Amino acid sequence: MSGSVFTGYTGGLIWGLGGGLVIAIATLFGVWWERKVAGRIQMRLGPQTTGPFGLLQTVADMVKLLLKEDITPTQADAPVFRVAPLIVFVPIAMAVTVIPFAAGWAPLDTSVGMLFFLAVPSVSVIGILMAGWSSGNSYATLGGLRGAAQMISYELPRTLSVLSVVLLAGSLRPVEVMEAWRWWFIPLNGIGFLVYFISSVAECNRGPFDIPEAESELVAGYFADYSGIRWAIFMMSEYGGVIAASLFGAALFLGGWAWAPGLFGTAIFLLLTVVLVTAMIWIKWTFPRMRMDQLMNTAWKVLTPMALLQIAIIGVVIAWL
Amino acid sequence: MSISMIELVFWMIAAASLLGALTVVFTRDVTRMALGLGVFLLSVAGWFVYFSQTFLAAAQVFVYVGGVLVLVLFAIMLVHRSGAGRPALESRHTIDSIMVAVAVFVLVVSALQDVGSALTVTPLPGSPDAISAALLGPMLPHFEALGVLLLAALAAVIVISGGERS
Repeated sequence: MSGSVFTGYTGGLIWGLGGGLVIAIATLFGVWWERKVAGRIQMRLGPQTTGPFGLLQTVADMVKLLLKEDITPTQADAPVFRVAPLIVFVPIAMAVTVIPFAAGWAPLDTSVGMLFFLAVPSVSVIGILMAGWSSGNSYATLGGLRGAAQMISYELPRTLSVLSVVLLAGSLRPVEVMEAWRWWFIPLNGIGFLVYFISSVAECNRGPFDIPEAESELVAGYFADYSGIRWAIFMMSEYGGVIAASLFGAALFLGGWAWAPGLFGTAIFLLLTVVLVTAMIWIKWTFPRMRMDQLMNTAWKVLTPMALLQIAIIGVVIAWL
Repeated sequence: MSISMIELVFWMIAAASLLGALTVVFTRDVTRMALGLGVFLLSVAGWFVYFSQTFLAAAQVFVYVGGVLVLVLFAIMLVHRSGAGRPALESRHTIDSIMVAVAVFVLVVSALQDVGSALTVTPLPGSPDAISAALLGPMLPHFEALGVLLLAALAAVIVISGGERS
């Protein structure tokens, strides 16, 4: 596609807008899927009246949220308060661009893609802190502080677990990692995948790691004061995070399109992604919320040593490959 | 179009840098100051991308924006007393600060004066391979020395935060 409108600056604009739109639509269906799965877990049906299987329920919700009043509390630091949801969402949407969707192709094929995927979403912590702080109420500030502490802590095991994949494949470029991928990466890198998966759930602030939101103690934590479309952007960030983490895990840890040639490979990749998203939803609706000290202990005393052990294993094995 | 796209990108990054820096200097609100610092740190990542050092750009975002800045914000929020309004910054050293700032400015300008027009950008290899080869090759002593320095800093933090133990 070189030389067409899909390259250069106009290409960047098109990919950026298109990518944002795709993520937004994907999160709509993520919310629908979560409500369906959660419903089944609680022995109900979930949304079912709007459209086939209730598919249009979240679309209708989105229209409703767009029409709702956008309230800025009088105690809030208005400019910071208004911009915070975007600072949370944009980095997560950006992270999706480096994921290798098909053989030899990623929307943004960069030599530091693996690092990009870890680095850029870490900016959204700032948005969470901004939201919590600028709301000007104690619940929100506490939620923001908890979110920051949690996301900083879980970034470490997450990065270390991705490092084991990088070590195995010998590249930071996701497309090259996928080309180097073999089926025995899964058993060899099993601990790494487990660490990646658990810390990704924590990075998305989802149950059982949802103490920054904790509706039973902090109302909704850092986004307690938000309403209308700005609240919806926070929801979209959460599901965008889940989808991004699942896409990355399905590709780089579980092989993605490497299982089959051509479009079948991409189909398997998307199927694996849906399986991981479902697992994350299942976990949320099964386990009780953790306490702050349990959360920190899990990150520093369990997951980090596990990730280091995984790197040590690969460090030894790699000499024989 | 009178200016090229790449020049436009240059001026956009420059504007972001200046905006961040000016916010840090002129605002009295500590939280907004930290956010201004965030804009500046992101613009530094923008400079790295502009000079095609993508690895450094990603590392800059990861370490400074996603790590250091979050800790700065965290500290501001943690030490803030509730009910006291937004914490403002009061300086007791206005004159001294101005003197130091002017002195640093003169130093930087005089140091860059000779280079000024001769400054051309030679594209360096920005790939992770090149950087790791340099870090584990000719730069290894510096790399190791930095590691020892960081270890000493960590040990110091543990000693300081440990409190008195009788």
